[in-house]
Amino acid sequence: MESLRLVGTFLRIGVQTELQYRSNVVFSVLQSLVAVGTSLAVLALVFSHTDSLGGWSGDELLVVMGVYVLMGGVLRSVVQPAMNQLMDDVQHGTLDFVLTKPADSMLLVSIRRIELWQSVDVLVGAGIVGFALSRLDTRPGLLAVLGFVVALALGVVVLWAFWLLLTTAAFWVVRTDSLVELLSGMYQAGRWPVTIYPGWLRIGFTFLVPLAFAITVPAQALTGRLSVWLLLGAAAFTVGLVALTRWVWSVGLRAYSGASA
Amino acid sequence: MEPAIRVRDLRKTFRVAERDAGLGASVRSLVRRRYREVAAVAGVSFDVAPGEVVGFLGPNGAGKTTTLKMLSGLLHPTGGEVSVLGHVPARREKAYLGRITLVMGNRNQLQWDIPALDSFELNRAVYRIPEPEFRRARDELVELLEIGDLVRKPVRTLSLGERMKAEVAAALLHRPQVLFLDEPTIGLDIGAQKRLRGFVAEYTRRHGASVLLTSHYMADVQALCQRVVVIDKGQVLFDGGLRQLTARFSPHQTITVQLAEPGTDLSAFGAVVEAGEGRVSIQVPKAETSAVAGRLLAAHAVTDLTIEDPPIEDVIEQAFSAGRTA
Repeated sequence: MESLRLVGTFLRIGVQTELQYRSNVVFSVLQSLVAVGTSLAVLALVFSHTDSLGGWSGDELLVVMGVYVLMGGVLRSVVQPAMNQLMDDVQHGTLDFVLTKPADSMLLVSIRRIELWQSVDVLVGAGIVGFALSRLDTRPGLLAVLGFVVALALGVVVLWAFWLLLTTAAFWVVRTDSLVELLSGMYQAGRWPVTIYPGWLRIGFTFLVPLAFAITVPAQALTGRLSVWLLLGAAAFTVGLVALTRWVWSVGLRAYSGASA
Repeated sequence: MEPAIRVRDLRKTFRVAERDAGLGASVRSLVRRRYREVAAVAGVSFDVAPGEVVGFLGPNGAGKTTTLKMLSGLLHPTGGEVSVLGHVPARREKAYLGRITLVMGNRNQLQWDIPALDSFELNRAVYRIPEPEFRRARDELVELLEIGDLVRKPVRTLSLGERMKAEVAAALLHRPQVLFLDEPTIGLDIGAQKRLRGFVAEYTRRHGASVLLTSHYMADVQALCQRVVVIDKGQVLFDGGLRQLTARFSPHQTITVQLAEPGTDLSAFGAVVEAGEGRVSIQVPKAETSAVAGRLLAAHAVTDLTIEDPPIEDVIEQAFSAGRTA
């Protein structure tokens, strides 16, 4: 409860800060339009040759793309800014201020900076999902939508935990920018459902770079591909990943404070 | 009375990788690293009583910041004991962190793009300060620091002095009982230094907080600290009042006289350190000061005479060089 209040306060101040830079919204919208336009063109090109890709129809893949854009918005507006701030703090020694605060340090580093205007993509992605759903033959029922919401929430947690896990490397390697760059590149693979990738890549995108749980699973919920077991599996994976991140974080802190030396 | 801060035989050893200069050495160090143990803090002990303001002095690399970091729970000691307000800092319990504060003059914690008032809000949430108490503390700090107009402006538009005052206010909203101030006046102009000093004195008087202060500006120390702990190379050289520090490390005093007839040679009385316009300063052993002053007054027409201890900077310098040769 206290944690929620803390998150709420940081979110409110973060939004206030961003409202000072209203002109950024123009840039974000343009950026979003270009990215979405390119993706749509590729999708149209692929489906001018074929009716389905790995069992997914064009409109179903549009759902995947919508979730991909939406999650990308979450990543760039909430997750990445906080992680960049964390890397900065490790480099400049200002993490000391976070660690001398009577609050959960892992939570605190995750909520200190947002980039509101990047969340334009969340709306654009939701729009694409809505549009794609209107073209599907079988509309998802209430249960499927519920499954989608749960899978989406789990996906956000997975992305956050995974990015934090990698950023924690900053405790040992001071410059992790290139690592994060690499991952942002890999995130692009998420525009396609992981099921269309060959075996080894699919496993990699599921467990190493968990795009499957962040993007494919929510999309599966809306396209009648989600079983209760898959959702439970996603939940179990999320819990496991958060636990792992927490553990690595505490090990990182010990290294930072010299407790292990 | 139980001390607010109790440090016993505190030690911190860092393991640092080292290599020789040059490409060959760089490549070799990739394969096999050599490590060297560096003792940053090597057996430091002192106490700070509740409400006491103690100056923590030492040259760069003496182990001041390392000690402060161990006291604020950022670093785990390699050995020894630390207890602050009855807590072991390294455990970083919320109950402990909520009662201390850390101010570092060369690093800022206020968010750059928002007014300090908003950062205060964030600290209210982090420290879970109840609204009425938060308002009382905030208004008091804003008034004492005279930052009423500044806290509404984005922090990036403030001058260094203004920003530091806002930093200090943010760090004290939760009314901490122990303050770790690491070079809080660094880079500030004389006026801003003075105002911040005055504030710290007033704050500790009102709230009875204990302060451990490091500073390179002796004026800070002289204005605020009843006691100083001087460390060098990770060890305590001196722990006591400023006056005792002077007595111990500087056996000389300076007698300055204004002579009625300029040009008189006073080198018979002691080492002349300054002379001009009939004003002469001589350095004499402390034990002989009054005798020499008496003889001076008897032998020459003196219109004015003052006896001074050497500047505290010189005394500290003396202490460090004494510590090195010992």
